[in-house]
Amino acid sequence: MAQSTAIVATTLSKSFDELKAVDAVTFTVARGEVFSLLGPNGAGKSTTISMLACLLRPESGDATVMGYSILDDPQAVKACIGVVPQEIALYEDLSARENLEFWGKMYGLRGAKLKQRVDDVLALIGLTDRQKDRVDKFSGGMKRRVNIGVALLHTPDVIIMDEPTVGIDPQSRRHILDGVKDLNRQGVTVLYTTHYMEEAQELSDHIAIMDQGKIIAGGTHDELVTIVGEKDRIEMELSHSAPELLSQWGALEGVEAVSAENGIVTVLVNDSNRILPHLFGAASQHDVRITSVTIEEPNLEAVFLHLTGRALRD
Amino acid sequence: MRIFDLAVKDIRQIVRDRKAFLFLLAMPITFTVLFGIGFGGFHAGENADLRLPVGWLDEDNSAASIAMHAMLSQSQVVRLVDAGIMRNELMAQVDEGTVAAAVIVPYGFGGQLRDGDVIPLDLLADGSSQAGFSAETEIQAAAQRLFAAARAAQISAAIAEAHGVSADYDGALARAMAAWSSPPVTVYVTETGFSAEDQTLLGSANAFANTSPGMMAQFAIAGLLSAAQILTLERKSGSLKRLLTTNMSRNAILLGHFVAMFLIIFAQMSLLVLFGQLFLRLNYFSAPVATLLLITMSALFSASLGLLIGVQAKSEEQVVMYALVAMFVLAALGGAWLPLEFTPETFQRIAFMTPIAWMIDGFQEISVRGLGLTAIADSLLVLLLFSVALVGLALWRFRSEER
Ligand SMILES: Nc1ncnc2c1ncn2[C@@H]1O[C@H](COP(=O)(O)OP(=O)(O)OP(=O)(O)O)[C@@H](O)[C@H]1O
Ligand SMILES: [Mg+2]
Repeated sequence: MAQSTAIVATTLSKSFDELKAVDAVTFTVARGEVFSLLGPNGAGKSTTISMLACLLRPESGDATVMGYSILDDPQAVKACIGVVPQEIALYEDLSARENLEFWGKMYGLRGAKLKQRVDDVLALIGLTDRQKDRVDKFSGGMKRRVNIGVALLHTPDVIIMDEPTVGIDPQSRRHILDGVKDLNRQGVTVLYTTHYMEEAQELSDHIAIMDQGKIIAGGTHDELVTIVGEKDRIEMELSHSAPELLSQWGALEGVEAVSAENGIVTVLVNDSNRILPHLFGAASQHDVRITSVTIEEPNLEAVFLHLTGRALRD
Repeated sequence: MRIFDLAVKDIRQIVRDRKAFLFLLAMPITFTVLFGIGFGGFHAGENADLRLPVGWLDEDNSAASIAMHAMLSQSQVVRLVDAGIMRNELMAQVDEGTVAAAVIVPYGFGGQLRDGDVIPLDLLADGSSQAGFSAETEIQAAAQRLFAAARAAQISAAIAEAHGVSADYDGALARAMAAWSSPPVTVYVTETGFSAEDQTLLGSANAFANTSPGMMAQFAIAGLLSAAQILTLERKSGSLKRLLTTNMSRNAILLGHFVAMFLIIFAQMSLLVLFGQLFLRLNYFSAPVATLLLITMSALFSASLGLLIGVQAKSEEQVVMYALVAMFVLAALGGAWLPLEFTPETFQRIAFMTPIAWMIDGFQEISVRGLGLTAIADSLLVLLLFSVALVGLALWRFRSEER
């Protein structure tokens, strides 16, 4: 096994009764990168992760984590991963510190080492001040942070995070995303699942888009976006309608199409940065004021829509 | 080591749960005391008066009527209720059944007896009822004795008179009556509701000897509610899955929970035994090793049941339901509420199919009969077998969840 890979999943499959939850999923996560599985509800992200964490036995296929097979050597796999479950898997009637201490012991930490790691993790998740409070007194975001902290205690090589930002406030979310980046900077490999394309885009070196048990596309963000072949989309509102202006815009180099509907003009371009000044210049010549501009670069949402005909989020 | 860490975590959660204390200590102590008092407290049978109440009306107030009263007062069958009321009221009481019978000593009774007349006692009793018949038989026997004593006194007085000594009829009557109080033969009458055998049994028994182990057995099951709920909560919250992502095996996880349950119930039972020893005059400490082993096996059994409930229940509500059903069925059948001596033989046979009956029986061998290890060996074995079966079942159910 190449030393540069952290996770290699090879045609992993799992069915629940008739439902093929994960269907021949294959991907590779390099060491030290953040890899995202992006997909809507029910895509099979959690099921894939459960197999990698040796919680579920794959029906067929295999995977290796840090070179150990999940089928042949689950104990070795478990020792080098930290799993952040989608649920808040904590004891809510215990304090944050008690939870961390308990889970640390379950990961085999003892004594001074345990105390040190618990202190470190509390600082990392920003809950040192609240460590003595019971978890059921915490906000959703704080619970999520403890939930993540538990998986970091034994300093695993690979962290597997299953939708760690679901249902929390923007501030906690920011805290978590920054935390993931920090971890990654320290050399930890992160396998991240989400159905927020912004998160996948911001965090990931590589992204696999998953739908109905299958990986339907994979690569870097920029690679994925080219699948759509779509241009930047500039939407504008004008002070008054000016058909001559629209035809002048359409003639500009780098403009693919111009259309107007309900008072909103949409211009498809190759490179919005380069074209925009020309658009404004032409408008001035025609005494038309541009009252609002929105630029939309092609995104993963569009990729998903392009590939499945459905929106990523319901 | 990690198994023990898991157990410590569980115990911390249980101890933090207020309602656990309610079930573990407050309720069993309350119910032990209440039920015990209900069954006669420390003096069940000993002071409980099982004799038939008999109304007593003395219109004569003579030496003879006093002697009759004294004699009936010592009866093992009837208990005199000094009515101090009118004849017709007394008759009404007999009709209502407030008293089993009534004795009326009419004015002039002593004089007539002295003259050797037929006994003119008025006896009111419902001869068709068992109680009335028993009372009537006893009163008539007493009257016969009084009559015989009166005859003896009469004769001795006559002899004294013939010899020119002053006749002391009353003194002679008293002496003749005294002779009856230490009769050569004692007759046991068994129609009073309890057999003579039951009476000796009850006479020596402290009612707490049954309610103490009974409530211990019952609330060992109720006390497991919190502990079993930890398992279902763990499953629901995803903590179980997370435990499985560490190197803990399923067996180790279950064992950790089992150790916690065992320790909790062991502590509970030890405290309840101590309570019985200190406050209920139950001599559990007469055989300390036997008591310790019995507590151990009982806690083992309860923990096994709790473990199975925790594994089997899908929700906290189901834990409550399973635990309460198990508790009520086992406690009721096993004789935790009613001493098995009071129940028919068939019921007793069914009772001993539950481990609870063996548990109670074991504790009673020690506290009531003063026996030791050999006497409770069967109880220990039965409890162990039940535990092994239940733990095996729980392990099997838990492992079969694996996909
Ligand atoms: N234990 C199970 N038993 C039966 N079906 C299951 C089980 N776990 C998952 N499924 C089904 O498998 C499919 C994939 O589920 P999975 O949880 O992996 O999706 P997901 O991508 O994690 O979705 P979400 O974003 O909602 O968490 C779903 O249709 C789900 O209903
Ligand atoms: Mg999921």
